[in-house]
Amino acid sequence: MPFVNEFRLNVRQWAAALVVVALALTLTPRVWKRLEKFDTGPDYRIPYALSKDYWLYERRLEQLTDTDQIIVFGDSVIWGEYVLPDGTLSHFLGDRFVNAGVNGLFPLAEEGLIRNYGTALRGRKILLHFNLLWLTSPKADLQAAQDEFNHARLVPQFFPRIPAYSADASERLGAVVERNVQFLSWVNHIQDVYFGQKDILRWTLADNRAVRNPLFTVDSKRGPASRRHRPWTETSEGPVQFEWVPLDRSLQWQSFQRLVALLRRRGNDVCTVVGPFNEHMIAEKNRAAYRTLRDGVAAWLSEQRLPHVVPDVLPSALYADASHPLTDGYELLARRLHESAAFAVWRGPTRN
Amino acid sequence: MLFHTWPFLIFLLVVLPVFFALRKTRLWIPWLMAASYFFYGWWKPYYLFLVLYSTTLDYCLVALMDHCPRKTPTDDRVLRVAFGVCTVAMLGCVSLAVAGPNQLRPTAMVFSLILALMAAGALFGNRRIWLVVSVVNNLLLLLFFKYARFVVENLNAAFPALHLSDPSTLMPWGWSYVLPVGISFFTFQSLSYTIDFYRGLVPRERNFLRFATFVCFFPQLMAGPIERAKHLLPQFQQFPAIRLQNFTDGASLFLVGLFKKLALANYLALYVDRVYDNPQAADAATLVLATVAFGWQIFFDFSGYTDMARGVAKLMGFNLILNFNNPYLATGLGDFWRRWHISLSSWFRDYVYIPLGGNQRGAFNTYRNLFIAFLISGVWHGAAWTFAIWGALHAIGVMVTRELERSAFYRERVPKLAKQLGVFAFVSFAWIFFRAATLSDALLIVRRIFTAAWHDPQAPLLMLGLVGAVWLYQFVYESRLRDVLRTGFVRIGLAVFMVLWMCLLSSGGKAFIYFQF
Repeated sequence: MPFVNEFRLNVRQWAAALVVVALALTLTPRVWKRLEKFDTGPDYRIPYALSKDYWLYERRLEQLTDTDQIIVFGDSVIWGEYVLPDGTLSHFLGDRFVNAGVNGLFPLAEEGLIRNYGTALRGRKILLHFNLLWLTSPKADLQAAQDEFNHARLVPQFFPRIPAYSADASERLGAVVERNVQFLSWVNHIQDVYFGQKDILRWTLADNRAVRNPLFTVDSKRGPASRRHRPWTETSEGPVQFEWVPLDRSLQWQSFQRLVALLRRRGNDVCTVVGPFNEHMIAEKNRAAYRTLRDGVAAWLSEQRLPHVVPDVLPSALYADASHPLTDGYELLARRLHESAAFAVWRGPTRN
Repeated sequence: MLFHTWPFLIFLLVVLPVFFALRKTRLWIPWLMAASYFFYGWWKPYYLFLVLYSTTLDYCLVALMDHCPRKTPTDDRVLRVAFGVCTVAMLGCVSLAVAGPNQLRPTAMVFSLILALMAAGALFGNRRIWLVVSVVNNLLLLLFFKYARFVVENLNAAFPALHLSDPSTLMPWGWSYVLPVGISFFTFQSLSYTIDFYRGLVPRERNFLRFATFVCFFPQLMAGPIERAKHLLPQFQQFPAIRLQNFTDGASLFLVGLFKKLALANYLALYVDRVYDNPQAADAATLVLATVAFGWQIFFDFSGYTDMARGVAKLMGFNLILNFNNPYLATGLGDFWRRWHISLSSWFRDYVYIPLGGNQRGAFNTYRNLFIAFLISGVWHGAAWTFAIWGALHAIGVMVTRELERSAFYRERVPKLAKQLGVFAFVSFAWIFFRAATLSDALLIVRRIFTAAWHDPQAPLLMLGLVGAVWLYQFVYESRLRDVLRTGFVRIGLAVFMVLWMCLLSSGGKAFIYFQF
């Protein structure tokens, strides 16, 4: 059989090459962790620009070795969409609480994130947030067709089937491989941090190749001084009629149930905070359906003997939209949580 | 299904073990055929009918041809039955064409014609008629799916009174009118079998499954190499001898192909697409560089595909023919075509150029035949005037270098490197017509190359370095330093480099350029 190059390895050469490749793939991310500066400190949260850098997220969780710390996990409500790091729920809850939220998450992605990148969370206290926003419509529940959505690489790629997810088999398998080969997640980290969130080859062709390292960039779009930090009544057209998805048909709720089970299987002590959703934004006729859902969630948590808190709705002016509180809202919510008996028992004595 | 995607890896991980497990049974051929049909049907299952139809018809035609003696007419029972069946089927199709549902009439009409020809073949016991049926059938498929819209558009533009309707209206049951991937490859492969049988070059393949596997063998079904029955069919006669070297060679070929596609072709495509999508905004240097980059892109893309095809076939113990032999080291245009897409250029040589008379009837006829063969080869690539011009340019290039090579000065005094660079420059120039979206774009690019200002083309050094390294590798391969490339250190180093590069820098899963042909 004619070859037109001399690239024709025999068995030994293949074996040698594969050993070198395997070593490189295994060791590079580990060595990188030692080389790259990653300062966190109090109130640290994963930067918005690195929301999809799951390798960094995994690294962040691995840093949290103090078992007295309580991990606060959830979507952008926990991360703090409109507020600065010192305006989030974890900040107001106190020093023991660590913000492990990620912007743009939803229960299906949360499950994927914890399953694949959250193995460091074992035997820990975890405050888990459930946001009823994900049941407000078939679209939010990922049951309606959509061009694309956030964190698609985290959702279940094959089962259960997600109607909103239209990636082809190759993309889905690629996502599965990426989750299981740490080197590939690390490549994604390198691209996100040093190459302007582009693949490196595209970056070489970009007109402007200067990149601000998001690991050390301050976010100016959030916080009380920003234009986005305003009550929902100033930016919205009033109450909304939501197309609530019943719990027994909701993909997001089923995923949240699996997430809770997964965290408990890993020996974690989980407490769930349900909402508080911005009820002021729900049209009058629509509130009964919301309360049925909220009570259904609470009932399931009780059934599972899971500590949980369903805080009262916050004052209207403390919400920025349907689910995200403003800075004062977080402060009030934290106070109410500490006042809750279930939470206090779960949390244990406070550290002074 | 694309070779460089995850589904193909899973497909291969299923196909290979089952194939080896069936080695002692007669089921390995049906398994290969089923796998190949699955591979093709992954894209659009209903176009499997086309492959199956083309295969079945050519199989039957050769079987009928086998019943026709070369010299004296015969009274053969099979032919009588064939005449009866074809006549009845033809009458059925004619009645469908006249009184059937509107959406089926055009298809029924075409089948009536083919069946009429087949009935005539059976009536007269004439081998040539069977051959004509095969040629007409395969070319009709190709012409309809590939060129009908182009022809209709051009005719309507030239003769507005004609008002010819779009070919999509001829599709039965309202099926979408899409170019089936790889149609040129499997029709050419099937056609070559009937022609070779007619010429007495290959024996009749009596086993339908084996013949169907030859036509649709998945490694080369989508983009070649276009195999000949004489080479591939005998390999399906018995289960291939499997040695460890099959795996190491197959994996070596596959890795090189994968690297060419993912690391090189897709990278170059980013630059080429950016420039060619908006040529009026590019200066001369950028256009020149993008054109040269496209020359390498298409080489890496297409030769990468055939490397992978050959590698996959090799894993199963089959040998596919060499399709590319470092074409950019060619010293003449004729030499280039003996190195570039070898299976296609030899196909045109054997089935177009030689039947036209080849080089047997003087210089004028030789050049006329060359011109016709290259023109058809150009149009084979696509229904556009740009492809016709590309073919014509190559025809002229071949003629010119052929004449130059007659002179002792050119043969002996012009340095080899100068000839290689000259051929590369000419081939790159011709690629402009191949790559440009329209003829006016191509002409604009040519004009701007010669008239616009020269600025920094802003090509990444990484890209230039990669292409330079590949070219250097090819030069070394064809030089006295070749032994350096054979050392274990270089081979292992290259393998490690290629795998890590793809893990770190791969740029997505674009489809192969030649799928569209």
